[in-house]
Amino acid sequence: MSQNRRKHFFINKPLQLRFMLAVILPLFLINLVALAGLYFGIWSKILETFSNEQTLNDLVTASRMIEYEQARHPIASQDFSSLSFFRQTEKLGQHQREVFKGILDETNRSLFWKFSLLLFFLAWGTIFISHKIAGPLFRFSKAFNEVEKGDYRSRVTLRKLDEGHPVAQEFNEAMEKTDHLFSDLKVLAQEKDAPQAVAKIKEKLSTIQTSANV
Amino acid sequence: MFKRLTCFFLVGFFVFSLLPAPLRAFEPSPEDRTLLNKIEKDTLQYFTRFSDKITGLTKDSSRAGSPSSVAATGFALAAYAIGGSRGWIAPDYAYNRILTTLQTLRHKAAHEKGVFYHFLDARTGKRVWGSEASSIDTALAVAGALLAARYYPGTEIEKLAREIYERVDWKWMMNNSDFICMGWTPESKFLPYYWDSYNELMLLVALAVGSPTFPVPPSAWERWLRPEGDYNSHKIIFASTGALFTYQFSHAYIDFRDLNDRGINFFENSREATLGNREYSMSFSGKYKGYSESSWGLSSSVGPGGYKAYGGKPGGGLQDGTIAPYATLSSIVFTPELSTQAARFFYDRYQKELYGNFGFKDAFNLDKGWWANEYLGIDQGITLLMLENYLNGESVWKKFMGLPAIKRWVELTGLAKQPSSITKN
Repeated sequence: MSQNRRKHFFINKPLQLRFMLAVILPLFLINLVALAGLYFGIWSKILETFSNEQTLNDLVTASRMIEYEQARHPIASQDFSSLSFFRQTEKLGQHQREVFKGILDETNRSLFWKFSLLLFFLAWGTIFISHKIAGPLFRFSKAFNEVEKGDYRSRVTLRKLDEGHPVAQEFNEAMEKTDHLFSDLKVLAQEKDAPQAVAKIKEKLSTIQTSANV
Repeated sequence: MFKRLTCFFLVGFFVFSLLPAPLRAFEPSPEDRTLLNKIEKDTLQYFTRFSDKITGLTKDSSRAGSPSSVAATGFALAAYAIGGSRGWIAPDYAYNRILTTLQTLRHKAAHEKGVFYHFLDARTGKRVWGSEASSIDTALAVAGALLAARYYPGTEIEKLAREIYERVDWKWMMNNSDFICMGWTPESKFLPYYWDSYNELMLLVALAVGSPTFPVPPSAWERWLRPEGDYNSHKIIFASTGALFTYQFSHAYIDFRDLNDRGINFFENSREATLGNREYSMSFSGKYKGYSESSWGLSSSVGPGGYKAYGGKPGGGLQDGTIAPYATLSSIVFTPELSTQAARFFYDRYQKELYGNFGFKDAFNLDKGWWANEYLGIDQGITLLMLENYLNGESVWKKFMGLPAIKRWVELTGLAKQPSSITKN
């Protein structure tokens, strides 16, 4: 367990920092826009509602209606609704509840669309960013498969904005060396002078380390 | 002989002095009578000012945005008839206002089997605020219509009033139960509340029992509870809130003085309840500076914290220093001296804050420095009718008690006509 513990959070600092920035910056910007929209949207709606004379009168009338009800008979139990999450609404009457439920439902609807839009942008952003990592991983995987099948001509070519260019370069260099080695061995294996060819092959193979080393 | 006569007079004086003060005849001073007449006349202006010019439907409150209330509209019908008969508004104006309003109630106002919705749009007559088809508010509307009809016999007014009354399916409102249901809505159907215990229900049940078309059985009168309680030695059949209006609304139209309900005289009961209500508020005079011998009246009204069912004991007994002058004034038939004294006190002391173009505003609370800035239609209505009964030869009672429906109710319920010892004004 302790062997697998990470000793360093930053393995590839420039890459991780770039990745962090790539995730955080769009999220921050999207949230900033959404929150500003919600903040000003909700408060302007509330202020507009309370500065509207008709609404004000309606609120007072709604309040009065329930006071009449309460003066005449106790309030019946209420069905579950968006107001049920707020204990404070226990003090409201039927009509008051209806008015505030209307306001709350409208706010919730507005929030729902804004959050849906936010989720869409987040999902799109995530796909865009993850593609820069998932793409190289796919190409590496494909290259390894080709090597496994014996094709040492395989190279990894990444797009300009993909992550992992240094690794791809090192991989390609390693593959090129291996390709040359096997190419040389193949050419030597075709020489007519067998003893000389074997000596050359042995010389070539002595430069590489394998499990067969004794 | 002289000794016997002296003894007789002494005993007579002793017995007389033991009689409760309100039972003695009280005659307001000319100044007080002028004031009471002014209040009644000013109160009438609420209905001329806050009723829709086209439909006649009357606003529930003078507050901006208030819908019309069918109960307030009923009081408006009574008010126009009274105002016309007293010469405070032109006879033609009174007649036309009543006619227009009745035509609206008959043909335009939203109703369910004749039971009007509590709150209506003043211009269209359509149901607003999801209100219920209300039995008590319909009764108050019908009572006003029937009273107005008595002022204009043989006219279109009488015909429309009768049609509106006969259209109400009171039996349906019982919902196959023993009592009349409080209301019905298209969404929830019958409300889970019934008129099953003493309060302002008597007028409603009287009209329902006396209906020529959809009468409820007389048992609907007999079965509602008459809970007994007492406060300061006042034995009272009490309403759950203890609010004064519950002891007044039915009495605005029905003269209960001579009606004996199996040993209960509800006029006497209201008198006792009024005295108890006054004493209850006075018991808090050390806590609230608004309560005093001349400043009392706990009843449902607006207050610093909204509309509440203030009241005395027995009953809810809710109080916070708020006084509803309408309730004090509307007790005038039960406690003429105390109510007149209070009216004079309110008017002289608080005229600037409490009295306006339409009579007394709904309530005030000295401790919180709060004065209502509105009038409520039903509170203005009860004030006007009770003052009319007191000041103008019990005219409302006399006309209303002559209705065939009321006679039928008295007969069917066995309410014994028993002359009481109550002083007639």
